[in-house]
Amino acid sequence: MKLLKIAVAAATGLALLGGTALADDKPVVGLIMKSLANEFFQNMMVGAEEHQKRRGDYELKAVGMQNETDFESQINAVENFITQGVDAIVVAPADSRAMVRPLKKAMEAGIVVVNFDVALDEEAKKQQGVELAFVGPDNRGGAKLAGDALGKKLGEGGNVVIIEGNPGADNATQRRLGFEDSVAEYKLDLLDSRTAHWETEEANQVFATMLTAHPDIQGVMAANDSMAIGVVKALESAGRTDIEVVGFDNIPAVGPMIEDGRMLATVDQFGTDMAANAIDMALDVVSTGEQLQGWVKTPIELVTAK
Amino acid sequence: MTTETLSETAAAAPKFSIRTVLHNAGIGLALLALIVFFSLFTEHFLTPNNITNILTQITINLVLAVGMTFVILIGGIDLSVGSVMAFAAVVAGKAITLPGFGPAEAIALAVVAATLTGVFCGFLNGAISAYWSLPSFIITLGMLNIARGAALQVSEAQTIYSFPFAFEEFGSAMIYGVPVVFLVALVLVFIAWFVLNFTVFGRLIYGIGNNEEAVRLAGHSVARYKIAAFTICGLTAGIAAVVYMARLNISSPIAGIGFELNAIAAVIIGGTSLSGGRGSVIGTLLGAFIIGVLANGLILIGLSDFMRQMITGVVIIVAVILDYYRAKYAAK
Amino acid sequence: MAAASLAAAPAAAPDRAFLTVEGLKKHFGGVKALDGVSFSLDEGEVHALVGENGAGKSTLIKILSGVFPYDAGQIVLAGEAYRPLSPHDAKDHGVQVVHQEFNLLEHLTIAENISIEQLPKNSFGLLDRKEMNRRARKALDAIGLTDVDVTAPVRSLGIAHRQLVEIARALQSKSRILILDEPTATLTERETKRLFDIVAGIKADGVTVVFVSHHLDEVFAICDRVTVFRNGKTIATDLISETTPEGVVQRMVGRKLAAEQEEHPDRHALGESALRLENLVTAANPGSTGVSLDLRYGEIVGISGLVGAGRTEILRGIFGIDPPQSGKIFRDGAEVRFKGPRDAIAAGIGFVTEDRKDEGLILGMPIAANISLANMGSVSRSGLLKLAEETRQAVASAARLTLKYGRTSDPASSLSGGNQQKVVLAKWLARNPKVLLLDEPTRGVDVGAKAEIYAILKDLAREGVALLVVSSEMPELMTLADRILVLAEHEIQGEVKRPDFSEENILKLAYGQTPGAGENDK
Repeated sequence: MKLLKIAVAAATGLALLGGTALADDKPVVGLIMKSLANEFFQNMMVGAEEHQKRRGDYELKAVGMQNETDFESQINAVENFITQGVDAIVVAPADSRAMVRPLKKAMEAGIVVVNFDVALDEEAKKQQGVELAFVGPDNRGGAKLAGDALGKKLGEGGNVVIIEGNPGADNATQRRLGFEDSVAEYKLDLLDSRTAHWETEEANQVFATMLTAHPDIQGVMAANDSMAIGVVKALESAGRTDIEVVGFDNIPAVGPMIEDGRMLATVDQFGTDMAANAIDMALDVVSTGEQLQGWVKTPIELVTAK
Repeated sequence: MTTETLSETAAAAPKFSIRTVLHNAGIGLALLALIVFFSLFTEHFLTPNNITNILTQITINLVLAVGMTFVILIGGIDLSVGSVMAFAAVVAGKAITLPGFGPAEAIALAVVAATLTGVFCGFLNGAISAYWSLPSFIITLGMLNIARGAALQVSEAQTIYSFPFAFEEFGSAMIYGVPVVFLVALVLVFIAWFVLNFTVFGRLIYGIGNNEEAVRLAGHSVARYKIAAFTICGLTAGIAAVVYMARLNISSPIAGIGFELNAIAAVIIGGTSLSGGRGSVIGTLLGAFIIGVLANGLILIGLSDFMRQMITGVVIIVAVILDYYRAKYAAK
Repeated sequence: MAAASLAAAPAAAPDRAFLTVEGLKKHFGGVKALDGVSFSLDEGEVHALVGENGAGKSTLIKILSGVFPYDAGQIVLAGEAYRPLSPHDAKDHGVQVVHQEFNLLEHLTIAENISIEQLPKNSFGLLDRKEMNRRARKALDAIGLTDVDVTAPVRSLGIAHRQLVEIARALQSKSRILILDEPTATLTERETKRLFDIVAGIKADGVTVVFVSHHLDEVFAICDRVTVFRNGKTIATDLISETTPEGVVQRMVGRKLAAEQEEHPDRHALGESALRLENLVTAANPGSTGVSLDLRYGEIVGISGLVGAGRTEILRGIFGIDPPQSGKIFRDGAEVRFKGPRDAIAAGIGFVTEDRKDEGLILGMPIAANISLANMGSVSRSGLLKLAEETRQAVASAARLTLKYGRTSDPASSLSGGNQQKVVLAKWLARNPKVLLLDEPTRGVDVGAKAEIYAILKDLAREGVALLVVSSEMPELMTLADRILVLAEHEIQGEVKRPDFSEENILKLAYGQTPGAGENDK
């Protein structure tokens, strides 16, 4: 794994070196993404590239990472961007604490930093003396939208389970908290809550077993759509059509499932536009010098059958 | 001397039972103990539905572990099977969603695409490590990344979906409550068992794992058998991809992360020696069951995810320690 | 021989008993490895343990050195009950063993291996390499290995040299009893003589030496007393001065040794040239003119020479393991090029390798599987094994070679050394080879099995098989061969014909004509 990281870091460095040769008056934006193996961030990246072509008045340098937990390459990317003297860094932090210090360094170097997707940890920001706004969706609020949809459908006392994302990941935690908010609000009965590491096959296995343990499950809250697909497949194998499933992300594969009622709802946080929106804000700050404040929430929307 | 040799066939029967039973039963007894434990302490463990669940849940791991058994028997390791499975699934997913084919053709095309992709990756693993005599650990670690990258590249990191209905039907079909995909895995186990015990190929697989040099000096092409073992492992990764697609009706480029470790664990728990030359695919079957029963039972019993992970780790270590004593006893 | 004086030394008096073993028993599962072993060691004597392989010598040594515990009986060492818990414990009691199997760490240097139990440290607490190398140098010099570089890794050494390094290591620590387990099995005559000088030196220091060997001439050359083992029991202990080799052998096998070691094998007519080498040079055998020889059907040709002279390498070159760099190989008069063992086997050649554990046998697999390994075609049809046929063939060839075994499904490791060697032979005989290459065919094999193997090889020659035999034991070559080629410095120095056979003639060629060979005779 160490080798991998070195390779990634080296590749990142090379890519960035290539960029510095360009002498242009256009502002340079460094975009730091999470794992591009993840469909969600892949789409976001494509969205950002299209946005750059459309606007055409800035230069985009984008860096991804190997996997969800590889925040070392993100730190390296920040340092490289500082060396190159980009105008703005737009970052989706892989770790809400580890990224604070390098980003502080960037800000001290006079670079505009916009934090999107996942908010940096408040505590860590305070410790380092960093003032930084967050641009992004409310994962907790989004999850609560989905959870509320389920709660309305089942009514008070409905039996539900949660399929969580990677333990320790910020968005996984936020979504779980959102679901739990709905559970509290609609007085649902939470039977079990387990991780399936964002993965379809594991969600399928874990949920099939949960269903055996709790045949009286009425609703499932999956922290992303990949896992929701696994849940739907397990329900099909078990021949159960009486259980409602909600997901998160609105990936194309769940479209048909929502249409034909196998899934009740999912949440669209407009991921494709998220990076692009954050870049817009960063460029605004660069041109006006007016800092962002607090939490700039980006739109989220509940998706259900029309 | 003649009396000694003549009595040999007669003497073969009784001694055979005691030692081999102890040798193979160790792991079987452990499985039995787990089953009894979960039956006593959970309400739903022995219900027909849950048994069906367990059979479904161990299928992919079992298919991968069958191929892994060949590789470990020759003293190698294949870390790439999870990634290769994802790559094969993505290639097959692209094939099955090609426009202009009827459902039957599309499915056939997908099956061929998945198995060929698996065979190709496995062949590369074997050929590279055999030709340059490099440790398979590092070659397959490379392939782990190559295949994962290829899967993401081919799919553009998007989940591929909407497969023909017949394919999905196959994935969820049952015969008397036994999933058809599990029967497919069982057939693979049987074929592997037969090949390992009753063919020249199988004999030499064991021979190479025990003493590669002696096999080479007896005039056999060791490289060819090594390549074959890795190719079989790739083939099973391709078959696992088909099972994955049929069950979940999607192809995800991030499928199968860490599956290689589960497959290796099943093989080792099943009593196959990591240094090669000793073990059996029946053990692998039992090993896959142990992992599957444990994963299922610990959820039923209501243990938290983190405790579950810890206990799975403990079981792997205990199984290997037990195997150490089993081997020691058998040696005396 | 310098050692001859040792045999003449007065036998130790009984009241000097230093270690006493009484009624020792040990079993593994249902197998009785030791079934009543009693003998004693006197301080400062050289005591031989002899017996066929499997008679219990190795088990006894492992018990004395703390590898196995014993089940019954008692051992008294210097007046105290002795029950070593581990090899380390045994060493603390001053019992050192030089094992038959090597315990060297291949990738470390010779110096590191010699000092491994007590690495010297400098004043900073770091490894004192200079001191370590100095000690190793001294240890090697003490046993006459002046030409070996102590900083070379052990893996660069041949088997004989490794054995001497082991001995050097054992002599490093303070020993009261030094057990040498078949120390000469891999040594040439000259190295053996060197070893005897060393033993004489140790004995003079008051150390008791236990000497395990299959070579009775060696036993009679250096030992004071001899204890004979048979079937896990001690049969008798004799003063060397009061017995004869003939008498010891009789005790060992429990029967009179037949005239197997007859002086002249019955003459039979030799056939055409079976295998001819013309200036063969391989990477491992880089002589300037290469090796040339002509082997005819029905002939047994011996290859003698010191370890490192390139004897094994000739066989490996013929068999296609080390590809020839120049020169030619002719089989039945036609030139052949073997790309690997496979081609050589197809051309009717078999190769009984020196190293049973690493090259000859798959120890963990059944006897039957080992016998069929080079001949899978005859026990299978279109890739499917005919297991009954395999067992039948194994039983048949076991009978032919008078193999002592339990069942053909037992692992090869269950056999004694001599019987393991017979399995290696059986593997090649299963193919009915026309040419058989043999490298140290009786290494680590007991007297009885040795004679049997000789008889088998002579029968093969009588049937018309061409045999090329490499051996470090000159009596073996003189018993078997029609003529002996003597090798030094990777080249054949000359040929000794049967009428001229004598150790002197062979040694002359091995040493005399190679000045500057780096070996200084003492």
